[in-house]
Amino acid sequence: MTDLLQKLKNAVRSRSIHVAYVDTGSCNGCDIEVLACLSPRYDLEQYGIYVHNNPREADILLVIGCCTPQWEDKLKEVWEKIPEPKAAIAIGNCPVSGCVFNREGGYVNPPVSKHIPIAASVPGCPPRPTEIIRAVLSLAPTIFADYEEKKP
Amino acid sequence: MGFSIIWYLREFIRGEWLKNFFFAKTAPLVDPPYFRGYPALTGKECTHCLSCMMICPTPGAIEVLREGETWTPHIYPGHCIRCGLCVEACPEDVLDVGRVLETQHRDQTEISVRYQVTVKPEACVRCGNCVVACPVNKEADPQLGATGTSANDEVIMKIRNGNLWVIHDEKCTGCKTCEEVCPTDAIAIARVAEGTQEGKA
Ligand code: SF4
Ligand code: SF4
Ligand code: SF4
Ligand code: SF4
Repeated sequence: MTDLLQKLKNAVRSRSIHVAYVDTGSCNGCDIEVLACLSPRYDLEQYGIYVHNNPREADILLVIGCCTPQWEDKLKEVWEKIPEPKAAIAIGNCPVSGCVFNREGGYVNPPVSKHIPIAASVPGCPPRPTEIIRAVLSLAPTIFADYEEKKP
Repeated sequence: MGFSIIWYLREFIRGEWLKNFFFAKTAPLVDPPYFRGYPALTGKECTHCLSCMMICPTPGAIEVLREGETWTPHIYPGHCIRCGLCVEACPEDVLDVGRVLETQHRDQTEISVRYQVTVKPEACVRCGNCVVACPVNKEADPQLGATGTSANDEVIMKIRNGNLWVIHDEKCTGCKTCEEVCPTDAIAIARVAEGTQEGKA
C-alpha cells in the first residue's frame, strides 16, 4: 500500500515541478533564455514545469549570474526559504566560472556552489532553452523520487 | 442543442477525446539544426600551433594538452561561450562545431594573424635592448650591434640616427621578448586577427 502511494507521489511530483529563478548578477542573457522556455515554441508547462517567482512555492531554484557580494547572504536566504525536497541548478557560465565578469578588478564571487549546494549546472553563454528544460526534467525525478524514504 | 448536458456528456466520453486527455504527448525536446554546441574533435591531427588558444576570447576555455605523442585541444564547458572561433582559426580542421567548418569551406574564409609593433617615442630611451633581444633580428643580422644598430634592412627594428625604427613588423612572431627586456615599457606587441575571404578584398 505504501509502495503504491509512494509510486503515485513520485509520478505526480515528477510531473509538477515548480521553479523559481534568481539572477545574482548576470548580463540578462540567461534570464532571457529562461523566459524563452515559457514561449509557445518550447512551452515549459507541457512538461509539467511551472515558474513561480516565489521560493516558498518552489522545488527547483535556477541560479543565474556570477554572485555579486550583495547576493552572498541573500542567495542563502532564498535557498533556505525553499521547502524540502529541493535542488538548485546553475544556469549559464556565470555561476560556474564568472564568465566575462570574472576579470581582474571584477567584483564577483563565483562559483555559486561556494554559497549554496548546486545539484546540476547547465553551461553555455547562454544555454539554450532546450538544455535548460532537459536539465530540469532529468534532475527532478532523481531529487524527488522516494523523498519520504530518503528523509533522515 | 449545443448547451444541453447530454451533448456535453456525449462529447466527453468519445474515445478520442479521452485518449487525448489522459495520454497527452508532449512534443519531443529537440535542438534546432542551427544549434552550435561545444567544439568537438574531428580526428585530424593537431600540430600544436596554438592558434585556437590565441583566438579564444574567453579565459580558461581551451587548452591544448599533450597526450602521449600527440596534442589534443580540450574545451572546458562553464568557460567556453561556443563562439566557434577556435574552429575557424585552426589551420588543420582539428575541431568542428555546428555548421562552422562547412560554411568556412564553402565561403573559403580564413582567419590570419599578424603582430603589430608599436613604440611610444616619448617613453623610449633608445637603449636598443629590444633590437638585441629579438630572436628574429638575431637570425636576420648576426652582426647586430650591441646598441641595436644594424647595417642590414632585414631586421624588425633597429636604432639609426639616435632613434628606434620599426621596419618589418610583419616578421614579428609575437614572442614578446622585447616587451620583457624594455626598461621603460615603451614597446608593445599587439596581435591583430583578420578574417579574409578568398578572391574578395
Ligand atoms: S568556441 Fe570560442 S570560447 Fe569556446 S573554446 Fe572555442 S574560441 Fe574559446
Ligand atoms: S587544435 Fe588546431 S589551432 Fe589548436 S593547436 Fe591544434 S592544430 Fe593548432
Ligand atoms: S615580439 Fe618577439 S619577434 Fe616580435 S619584435 Fe618582439 S622580440 Fe621580436
Ligand atoms: S628596449 Fe624599450 S626603451 Fe630600449 S630601445 Fe627598445 S623600446 Fe626603446
